[in-house]
Amino acid sequence: MATEPRPLRAVIVDDEGPARDLLREYLSGEPGITVVAECANGFEAVKRIGELSPDLVFLDVQMPKLDGFEVLELIEPGPAVVFVTAYDEYALKAFEVHAVDYLLKPFGRERLAEALARVRARRAGASTSAMAPGPGGGSAPQTPAISPGQIAAAARRPGQFVERLLVKEGSQVHVIPADRLDYLEAQDDYVAIHSGGKSHLKVGTLADISAGLDPDRFVRIHRSYVLNVERIGKLELYAKDSRMAILADGRQLPVSRAGYTRLRELLK
Amino acid sequence: MHPIFSSRLRFALYLGGWFTLAPLLAGLLVLLRPRPFADAIAFAGPLTLFYASACLSAWWVCRAHPLGGPKPVHTLLTVFSAAVQASAVWVAAGAVWGAILAAGLGVDPGRATRLQDLIPLALAGVPLYLLSVMAHYIILTFESARAAERRVFESQVTAREAELRALRAQLNPHFLFNSLNSISALAAPDPEAARRMCQLLGDFLRHSLSLGGRERVTLGEELALADRYLAIEQVRFGARLGVDKRADDGALSCLVPPLLLQPLVENAVKHGVADRVEGGTIRIEAHRRGDALVVEVENPRDPDAPPRRGQGLGLENVRARLDALDRRQTRVDVDRSPDRFRVTLTLPAREGEEGRDGH
Repeated sequence: MATEPRPLRAVIVDDEGPARDLLREYLSGEPGITVVAECANGFEAVKRIGELSPDLVFLDVQMPKLDGFEVLELIEPGPAVVFVTAYDEYALKAFEVHAVDYLLKPFGRERLAEALARVRARRAGASTSAMAPGPGGGSAPQTPAISPGQIAAAARRPGQFVERLLVKEGSQVHVIPADRLDYLEAQDDYVAIHSGGKSHLKVGTLADISAGLDPDRFVRIHRSYVLNVERIGKLELYAKDSRMAILADGRQLPVSRAGYTRLRELLK
Repeated sequence: MHPIFSSRLRFALYLGGWFTLAPLLAGLLVLLRPRPFADAIAFAGPLTLFYASACLSAWWVCRAHPLGGPKPVHTLLTVFSAAVQASAVWVAAGAVWGAILAAGLGVDPGRATRLQDLIPLALAGVPLYLLSVMAHYIILTFESARAAERRVFESQVTAREAELRALRAQLNPHFLFNSLNSISALAAPDPEAARRMCQLLGDFLRHSLSLGGRERVTLGEELALADRYLAIEQVRFGARLGVDKRADDGALSCLVPPLLLQPLVENAVKHGVADRVEGGTIRIEAHRRGDALVVEVENPRDPDAPPRRGQGLGLENVRARLDALDRRQTRVDVDRSPDRFRVTLTLPAREGEEGRDGH
């Protein structure tokens, strides 16, 4: 096989200096690959990956601010992902989110070369299959599409609830802890996340985004609203079979009949 | 459950004691007023059995008023009044039983004579009840001694378990994997640093194994181990990890369980440095406050960081070990603010017997 005409563009994401140095050193000995950025934390990674749209990301799991899975949830699908971590317990989740490989620290050159071979194989497979359907751009998905919601779900342990929601606006990432959420509101293809008087828009359906929230605290009170029950000031009968939830800050949200049943069930 | 019924032996002894009493009482009655022995037994036997059950009530009296309680006079009065009441009930039962027997056998010696038969009951009632009280006190003392023994044993087991957990936590594999990765990273560009790191790691492992095998170590040794650990982590985290350590001489020679601080220092690095973009400074401070040794481990924290799984495990372990050491004289205080986390350990300041500080 001929070598690729264009070198693979890689981004290294790891919060430990020596770990980045090692990867860079190993990669400098590999033909057909260039490191275009090194990031020391998740925020930086989301920003740089957005700007550079690399072919390949080496991603640590445990990092400050955003962990590896959260970074993956926030970036556009496209780059092949190779996780690099000292923890073997995330391997299964990594493959659920279609990581190409999972390197366990410490690893050697041979193991890295193997991972690169897998990346190239997957790219080759993806580009041939992308030929047929349509205009296969540079950012054609190389893997079956997987939604950010699915990534978030895979990254969570069973029985564990979402502790924070992540929203990317431009190159900025907002982290909204679950206990500061007031309510979620469906708006066409987006969900508005209301928290402390501010709101952020996140692409996705209300069901998707509220899926992992603690069901003892967040209730779907209406087709378009999921409410943090701790924010309810009072409930008022508005018309037959329809009520209004008045929040502590005075805002009013409609409560459907089914929503009222769920709410009553919870507050029992 | 009543202690007499909880053991077959006790029940047999108790019943046996009362069964020997019945013929004695019958004999006494025959002496007082000649009659067939069988008649005397017919009177005394059931009554003895009745009193045997009445005297079981002594247990509740004993339990409500344990020996060595704060009010001995009150206890004495209560016991006596219980004895008087019990024997009064017995005498009354005797009167009724005497009347029933008289009616049933058809030989009534007369009301006055029957009342005479009650005199031995009235005389023996109080001392018998007191005897039962004594027996119950003995059982209670015996049982509480056994419970104390069991508690000591249980706390020893807990302490052992905590030690084992501490040792297992000690050989934190991820710490090893990350350190090995750092060594691998340093090997090509800076072989000298890689060697230094190997040495640090070897030193740390050797010391943690040797400290872990001992019953007590000085705080000085414990802090020296923390130094090695932090030096290794400093290679990984670079300028992100700062250390501010202060300990007065009096504190350094105090004895502590081995590897007590290690989980706290590990947590501090994890939450105060690894989880923060800008890293942070870990503060370790130890001093003597009177008879107490006070050790503080503090780290900054990211207010937005989600509560990580496994958090609190190290702290639980430290708490369990101090509890096992001395529940009353040790304390673990946790001061958690949005951007700071501090654990304060307070334990009795005891110095090494061989006067380790003299060396």
